[in-house]
Amino acid sequence: MFFDVLFVGIMVGAIYTLVTIGYSMVYSILKLMNFAHGDVYMFGTFICYTLLAKYNMNPILAIIIAAALGGLLASVVEIVAYRRLRAEQHRMISMITALGAAYVIQNSNELKWGNQVLPFPSILNTEALHVFGLNIPMTQIITLGIAVGLIVLFTLFLKYHSYGKAILCVSEDIPTASLMGIPINKTITMVYFIGGMLGVIGGILYSSSYNAVSLAMGFRGTIIAFTAAVIGGIGSLSGALVGGMIMGICENFIGVYISSAYRDPITFLLLIIILLVKPTGIMGSVEQSKV
Amino acid sequence: MKNTISGQKKPFNDLKNTKFKYVLNLAKNQKGLFVLFTLVCILLPNIITNMYYLGIINYMILYSILCMGLNLILGYAGLLSLGHAAFYGLGGYATAILITRYGFSFLPAMIISGIVALLFGMLLGLPTRKVRGDYFCLLTIAFGEIFRLVAQAWIGFTNGAMGIVGIPIPNILGWSIRTEVDFYYLGLMLLAFTYFTLSLLVNSRFGRAFIAIREDELAASVMGINTAVYKIIVFGIGCFYAGLAGSYLAVYQTTITPSNFRLEESCLMIIMVIVGGMGSLLAPIAGVLVMTLATEYFRGIAEYRMLIIGVIMVVVLLFRPQGIFGTSAFKG
Repeated sequence: MFFDVLFVGIMVGAIYTLVTIGYSMVYSILKLMNFAHGDVYMFGTFICYTLLAKYNMNPILAIIIAAALGGLLASVVEIVAYRRLRAEQHRMISMITALGAAYVIQNSNELKWGNQVLPFPSILNTEALHVFGLNIPMTQIITLGIAVGLIVLFTLFLKYHSYGKAILCVSEDIPTASLMGIPINKTITMVYFIGGMLGVIGGILYSSSYNAVSLAMGFRGTIIAFTAAVIGGIGSLSGALVGGMIMGICENFIGVYISSAYRDPITFLLLIIILLVKPTGIMGSVEQSKV
Repeated sequence: MKNTISGQKKPFNDLKNTKFKYVLNLAKNQKGLFVLFTLVCILLPNIITNMYYLGIINYMILYSILCMGLNLILGYAGLLSLGHAAFYGLGGYATAILITRYGFSFLPAMIISGIVALLFGMLLGLPTRKVRGDYFCLLTIAFGEIFRLVAQAWIGFTNGAMGIVGIPIPNILGWSIRTEVDFYYLGLMLLAFTYFTLSLLVNSRFGRAFIAIREDELAASVMGINTAVYKIIVFGIGCFYAGLAGSYLAVYQTTITPSNFRLEESCLMIIMVIVGGMGSLLAPIAGVLVMTLATEYFRGIAEYRMLIIGVIMVVVLLFRPQGIFGTSAFKG
């Protein structure tokens, strides 16, 4: 029992990490709470649902199309709702436009797919693997594999690819990066695109392991991503991993051993406590405000 | 200009320079206009006899109280709170439970509700010392969600998702409030109370201090203003009005459920304040008016409601970040 819960927790944690990465990157560059992030990932998951359930598309193709559309939507939101406000306005303003964008996406999704929970088809096989006397479903292993693989891939991209390095530069200092000839707008749009894409893949993996997709995923996804990012320390990849894992594991243990009705309140309480005790997160560094 | 060095007069001049403030001053200076306006407010139920319209006006009054309180937090103290619905809900639940379970009459229940919201507000305001900006916003979201989820899960105390039903007709000193018109007058009194207490507060030494904090926190703290204490108190006071509004909602609707206090509600209040304009006492009412009328106007296409609200939010902020009648945008 204990190990079953732990393993599900690790799998959910890996998925949360995927969702968190995009969020954390955006935050570290623009200091913007992207409220639309969760809704983008919900949108992508719904797209994938339609492709799979209605058109019986090949799962891999469906995931790729959904991820690309999700990334596109994230970039469009950035261009329409945030770009104009980036330079001269307080970031609270873009936070509120983000909320507006989230509403627009959420409402459009509701019009298209309704607000009930839809059965997401299982895209992975459901056999179980027997290791050390434990029954571990293949779904969980493959989900974990995909999530970890993408995290590693993204880390390598940031370290070795020139575009990845550009992202790191921009997140250090926007004016200096632009003086060095890095195209700021393009890079930021790319961050949104990648973040949206990873989020959508995370959403699809989540939905396919719980066989459900619903409108409530969106807002919850945003909050989970932000909580995980804050817990781990915003802007760092390892922070996203640590935060996502803590969230995933805690959530499952609370859900199983305490009460599923109090799962979310306790998660939020955890967030409040962490914000109070260590606002910079576990892996984060202190950022001094300048005069 | 000689007063700007004290850091107190300048923000005040900002407030006076806007058109809206000008209209207000007109109302204050020309007593006739003010009296006329008051008379119109008092006689309104005789002019609008359609109870449906009067019901809409009652909701407008309710939201105006909420938004004026929120404006204190958002526009005067510069804290973005997305958990205002929780305080509204605390007030509502406090009143509902006190009246139905402990036999309180309405007036003491309302005062206690306000104080409950005030205390919780100050409690949530405590972290402003350490947690800033968007982390604080996240904190308020988390608080709002915890409130709603606990109200849903704690069936023994709040009756869960079913909510508390059958809240009796309130009675204040022999005046039993049962019709829309009675509720209109009750709301109007609350609104007047809100406006006068808030304008006293904002124009006092205390008010000038927290305007200074919003304009420049560092400068204000150098001038000897204890910024942390002020923020906590301002946050609490803003929540106090939300508690009163929640109390009004409880007796007006006669039922109260957790779904009355979802995050959407907090967002709607933020939008009303922002569309109306931050940092001026009466400007949020303009936002309430615009948003309520828009919602009513688009009632035929209710499923597009949030879409339209979202678009209004984005468009207003892109082109007029300080709101329609606002005096100050966020700075920093």
